[in-house]
Amino acid sequence: MNILEVEHLHVTFPARRGSIRASQDVSFSVKEGEICVLVGETGSGKSVIGQAILHLLPQSAMVSGSIRYAGEEILSLPESAFSRLRGHAISFIPQDPIGSLDPLMRCGRQVAEALETRGVPKEMRPSRVTSLLSALSFPDPDLVAVSYPHELSGGMCQRLTTGIALASSPHLLVADEPTKGLDYVSRKRTIEMFLDLKVKGTDSILMITHDLELADLIGDTAGVLYSGELVEFGPAAEVFGHPLHPYTKGLIAALPKNGMRPMRGVCPGLAALPKGCYFQDRCPAPCTTDLHPPMHDVCGRQVRCSRC
Amino acid sequence: MQPLLSAERLHKTYGHGNIFSDVSFTVNPGETVGLFGMSGSGKSTLGRCLIGLERLSGGRVVFAGEDIARLSASRFRKLRPAMQMIFQQPAISMDPRMHLFDSVSEPLAFHEKRGRPEVFASLFPLIAAVGLRPDQFSCYPNQLSGGEIQRAMMVKIYSLSPKLIVADEPTSMLDMSVQAQILLLMKELQKKNNTACIFISHDSQIMLTMCDRIGVLGDGDFRMMELDEFAGYTTELRL
Repeated sequence: MNILEVEHLHVTFPARRGSIRASQDVSFSVKEGEICVLVGETGSGKSVIGQAILHLLPQSAMVSGSIRYAGEEILSLPESAFSRLRGHAISFIPQDPIGSLDPLMRCGRQVAEALETRGVPKEMRPSRVTSLLSALSFPDPDLVAVSYPHELSGGMCQRLTTGIALASSPHLLVADEPTKGLDYVSRKRTIEMFLDLKVKGTDSILMITHDLELADLIGDTAGVLYSGELVEFGPAAEVFGHPLHPYTKGLIAALPKNGMRPMRGVCPGLAALPKGCYFQDRCPAPCTTDLHPPMHDVCGRQVRCSRC
Repeated sequence: MQPLLSAERLHKTYGHGNIFSDVSFTVNPGETVGLFGMSGSGKSTLGRCLIGLERLSGGRVVFAGEDIARLSASRFRKLRPAMQMIFQQPAISMDPRMHLFDSVSEPLAFHEKRGRPEVFASLFPLIAAVGLRPDQFSCYPNQLSGGEIQRAMMVKIYSLSPKLIVADEPTSMLDMSVQAQILLLMKELQKKNNTACIFISHDSQIMLTMCDRIGVLGDGDFRMMELDEFAGYTTELRL
């Protein structure tokens, strides 16, 4: 069963001249118990999708399309109705863990606050905080509980925000760049933590990242975003093992372990996208038509390339 | 061959325990030496100490035969152009209130007492070599992408024909496809100019492709490793 279905999602921001199409015609679904990873570079519109699902976009954003959670349309829900889902059935791990924690509140209380909204009685909260923190492999959970965020490392703050998101035992977890800016030790711990969640198999996770290695390791399905639209979507092992779209191929070839062969050029700006295929200027074999290629099925996955 | 830089028993403390101690190694002309360690291991501090941006607590750095801590201010200023640094955050490594044109031509104009327009005109071949257009230099840094600023940084640095570059995680803030472009450009310029480089990173894969030898910092210890040894050391850190 699909826990999340996104269909024809468009997000547009008004700009001084024209508008910025941050997300265009994005359609994908996440099955129950599955980890879906969206990969993209800066400005590919990946974070916007997470924010659209959580109703966290600024007021000025124009959103259209459909987002269904467990069969129910949530994109058009008013804030009063949606706030019953956010932080309960659907949780969010924001980017920038240090900046998204309250600097003036002890870490334990920030986790307890999430438990409070969940209706956990006051006397049970401290023990639940301790068990949550130790489940996230904090060696000394009681010490972390009385610390302030600035006393923890970036990796620890990352695990703490994950703990807060998991405090409500969500059905769907949306994680935005959970390994950004972490060093190799914290990154490894974070990845192990997500692999652990995957083994327990209770949650569905939508992960947004630029880390290809992470996506390959933990994803069941994977989507690759370029200039606001999906260019390839399918089983993660196939997308990364046998990429079809030239952009996916280019990304994988640019990894240091694969010889670091760079793609030429840069992503086009979202305010001035070219006609036809957005990848044409960087494509090793550009097509000659002006038509924008649609997503179409190729051997069990979807690709946006007229040559595939 | 005489080494370009030799670090002898370097030691640094901020007063509460050692950041690093007893760090000794040499860098030959044209060679790339990596500094690897996790956040807070002191690799950036070590890099800054090597080119005199930060004072050492002990030991000495000999650059081109001279102990940089014992040089007079005016002699040290003469040596400055030969050692340059690329910083981690492209967004804040250029003055936000200066056009790139001014930022890029400032160092050479200062060291050689020439006018900025004249200096800028002499940089055209270098600007073409890094893949930028001269008209992009009329922008402010916030109008360009991180990759473009790191390219402009390369122009600024190589205008001085440095002998040693300290690159402090130059691509950790960049996207994957841009990262490969910048690293290859760095390698190319380094080869052409026979520049030595101290490359600081916590990405072991990048280290293996960029460096000739790698120094590993951890818990105040320092160990210089050959590539094979480093590859073995980091396999256990990988997934």
